[in-house]
Amino acid sequence: MALLWLWCRSAAIAPIQTLAWEPLYASGAALQKAKKDRKKKKERKRNLSVEGVLCCDMFVTLSFTFLSLKQAALISAEPSPNRGCSINQSREYSIYAPSNSENRYGTMEVTPRLTWNEEKSLQKLLGNVSLRLLYKSSVHGNSFGTMLNKCSCQGSTILMVYLPNNVFGIFVLESYPEMSEHLKKPTTSFLLSFQKNKIMEMTAAFFNSTVDLIDNKLRFNFSQVQYVLLRSNTQNIFIPRLLGEKLGLTYDFKSQYTEYEVFRVEGMKDEPGYINRIAGATPHRDSLLAELRAYRPYADLVSEIRILLLGPVGSGKSSFFNSVKSIFRGHLTRQAIVGSDISSITEKYRIYSIKDEKDGKSLPFMLCDSMGLNEKDGVGLCVDDIPHILKGCMPDRYQFNPQKPITPKHPTFITSPSLNHRIHCVAYVFDINSIDNLSFQMLAKVKQVQKEVLKCGVSQVALLTKVNNCNGVLQDNFLQMSESMIYKSQVRDVNMMLGIPKSNILVVENYASEREMDPLQDILILSALKQMTRAADDFLEDLPLE
Amino acid sequence: MAVTTCLTWMQEKHLKTYFGEEQFSLLYKASVHGFSKEKLLDRCSHQGSILTVIYNEYHILGAYMPGGYLGELDISITLFAFQETEISKCEIGPLNPCLLFSGNNINSQFIINLEKKAVVTSVTTMEKLGLPQCCMSFKECEVFRCEDLLDKRSVDGIIELKESLMSTIRTYKPYGGLVHQIQILLLGPIGAGKSSFFNAVKSVFRGHVTNQALVGSDITGVSEKYRRYVVKDGKDGDPLPFILCDLPGLSEKEGRLCLDDILSVLKGHVADRYQFNSMNPVKPGHGDYICYPLLKDRIHCVAFVFSAYSVHCLSDEMVEKIKRIRKELIKCGMVQVVLLTHVDTLDLITKGDLIDIYKCVPVKLKLEELHREFGFPLSDIFVVSNYSSEWELEPVKDVLILSALRQMLWAADDFLEDLPLEETNRGV
Repeated sequence: MALLWLWCRSAAIAPIQTLAWEPLYASGAALQKAKKDRKKKKERKRNLSVEGVLCCDMFVTLSFTFLSLKQAALISAEPSPNRGCSINQSREYSIYAPSNSENRYGTMEVTPRLTWNEEKSLQKLLGNVSLRLLYKSSVHGNSFGTMLNKCSCQGSTILMVYLPNNVFGIFVLESYPEMSEHLKKPTTSFLLSFQKNKIMEMTAAFFNSTVDLIDNKLRFNFSQVQYVLLRSNTQNIFIPRLLGEKLGLTYDFKSQYTEYEVFRVEGMKDEPGYINRIAGATPHRDSLLAELRAYRPYADLVSEIRILLLGPVGSGKSSFFNSVKSIFRGHLTRQAIVGSDISSITEKYRIYSIKDEKDGKSLPFMLCDSMGLNEKDGVGLCVDDIPHILKGCMPDRYQFNPQKPITPKHPTFITSPSLNHRIHCVAYVFDINSIDNLSFQMLAKVKQVQKEVLKCGVSQVALLTKVNNCNGVLQDNFLQMSESMIYKSQVRDVNMMLGIPKSNILVVENYASEREMDPLQDILILSALKQMTRAADDFLEDLPLE
Repeated sequence: MAVTTCLTWMQEKHLKTYFGEEQFSLLYKASVHGFSKEKLLDRCSHQGSILTVIYNEYHILGAYMPGGYLGELDISITLFAFQETEISKCEIGPLNPCLLFSGNNINSQFIINLEKKAVVTSVTTMEKLGLPQCCMSFKECEVFRCEDLLDKRSVDGIIELKESLMSTIRTYKPYGGLVHQIQILLLGPIGAGKSSFFNAVKSVFRGHVTNQALVGSDITGVSEKYRRYVVKDGKDGDPLPFILCDLPGLSEKEGRLCLDDILSVLKGHVADRYQFNSMNPVKPGHGDYICYPLLKDRIHCVAFVFSAYSVHCLSDEMVEKIKRIRKELIKCGMVQVVLLTHVDTLDLITKGDLIDIYKCVPVKLKLEELHREFGFPLSDIFVVSNYSSEWELEPVKDVLILSALRQMLWAADDFLEDLPLEETNRGV
């Protein structure tokens, strides 16, 4: 109880400290700060002397904490290739001492302290980049001036600071400036931390910052009062509470670091705003996933909506299903067989249900896959099959016959389909790179198909696949298609060709050549799917009362 | 603005191979950091072994300095120049590497004058490097730190990844609990590495290299029987949740292994160790024929296996045969993946490249070749390096093997999920 009260009291003190903290913009301010520091010490001392009994408890608590930290440090200390190297902290430049980890040339090993798995996490966060070590304080010295000699004008960099229980990283998009200059223009940056618990955990918070080097202090200014400060003379790092909250810190964080390293980040996509997109991508993707999981068809008229994929051979219909399933499964899947071929790989009608994760429940939408359209008659999907599909008469796995439509006499023909069996939304699927080359015959066939769709009153969208730049499709907040979208002309062409509103012309990149899931790619696919659910709702709402 | 090297992947790779290094980290680029000796030394001192590269209009040359710029130490320096894809070299020293940047009495063999953007060599050096003249201007200078890709730090991380993959595979449960073990069929031309892949998988879980399945380069193919290999977890451990099924290698000649045999295997009619007969495809009436196979007898995933060093010389007949088989598999609803084995036989590929194998240019070209020839999606092609002369395991190889295996298990889940309801009703 007393301890609890003490902790509460400690917590109560923190805001005062935060408010009292002032930036060091002038020597006058520094002098005032020195005075305030002195005053604060007196106050603290007075408190301790007044609360005689509690003073003992506080001391015990602090001692315990200190011991715990020390033990944790011992336990978590990793073998360092530079163990045995002594650094004289009282001097600006270190004197290099012989080390146990000399390589075959008798020189210091310049290898990262960042673990391989931490590096992999960073690479993935930043969009599959490479990290190249430029500076290592245990080899090159603590001085930030020396660091800037090596690390200025190197492009995007990340500074990793190693503490007993944490690793902090500060990414800066623009190059560090030359010595004695300041990075005055705000640059995109983020703060991240790894916690050394049993499960490797990384959290990241994105900001804009400027960088100052003042004497032996390196400062990353995120606002007038929020900054991260490193001191080379004492090897201390300071992170204020408001800034650190996003990293899981609940107090002003001060700690001594043992080492820092600077890496150049290679392979960053060279586009404005890319980092900001990365920052927002995963949360937005997760929000879309949650929305689609929770989706309920209009007025609960059906349990699942059915979305029919129609389009030329090789346009990516089956790939789209695979991609959607992959997103909900969490890894790449290949249930619908895809590949390059002149004729359609898909020869059967398929009604695909998708489960939420491997053993989850079915999601409230189904994707219906069909044989590819061919510009010739008697090849590819038979147009006369369309009405039967739309009405819900065609059974799953029906083997298409390009020359003859299904008939009611077929043994598994569904003679009295319910609303559940019907198609609620049709998606015309095109390869975005083939829009300009659609033959007259193919266009005529698509029109023929559309005629049947309109006759049944089913909602329509268009799905343009195989974009090769996910980053240029949506606005930075992912809520709208970008005004400067690079595929504008293709969208306009489809709009004029089929009369589908531009807001229902959707642009995606299916998972076909990638080996990893990508949140930016997920967002395009899930956004398209979301528009399809809205289109289906429009159809259901428009049904005559029966 | 990004600071990147002028070297192509191939040029970089040739240099790595030549000097026995595995990774280059760019530290200094004259056009960005200034054509100045002081700036170069500021950035590149105390960085370990150093490679300095000079770009002339027609030539690329430079110097390799083991140990790097360290103040007072004298070292032997290797000068080099590219000759097409070959590298000519010239040893100088021992001398202080800083002397390369200023002329004096000690070093007149190779001088880089950054301020004047010129490199001056002695006649002897010029001839050894195959350069046209002693004095050449240059337009760019880059300096790299040389590193080892497979140092302790990387290997520790790879071992951790391997353990994680093994655990994932041990605890894998087929979709819906429909079967206890997934059956994966390995299908490919003679010498593609099918049996080798089984041996590799078994080796990973055994803990050392094993050779249960006979392999060899005999033109007639070593495997004549159908084998269903169970893999145990450790020497006396429990069976793992997958079985690797091995067929004789495909051949151009008709009748060796016909399409009907393959279809019978897919449906689960063929028993373990069945001896294929080119004259008689397997059919009811054979003593070992399984008339009413259960779901567990069926093949749940097919892996086409190609060898990286022989896939480009497949005959037209073989390509056509594989395409035909693939088409039949599609009709059966069979999920397919592709294995590209022996990736380390590709030009310039070394063990360190296995860490990020899909980024290597020769591998990319090979994958695109398979994609173009057979129509397989790129994301369905997995690269492995089989064990051939090793006795003990290499974690970096194990990770590739286990990653490919995990993908096959995921593919089998897709197959099981796609089965019509009536077919899943058959008991395990």
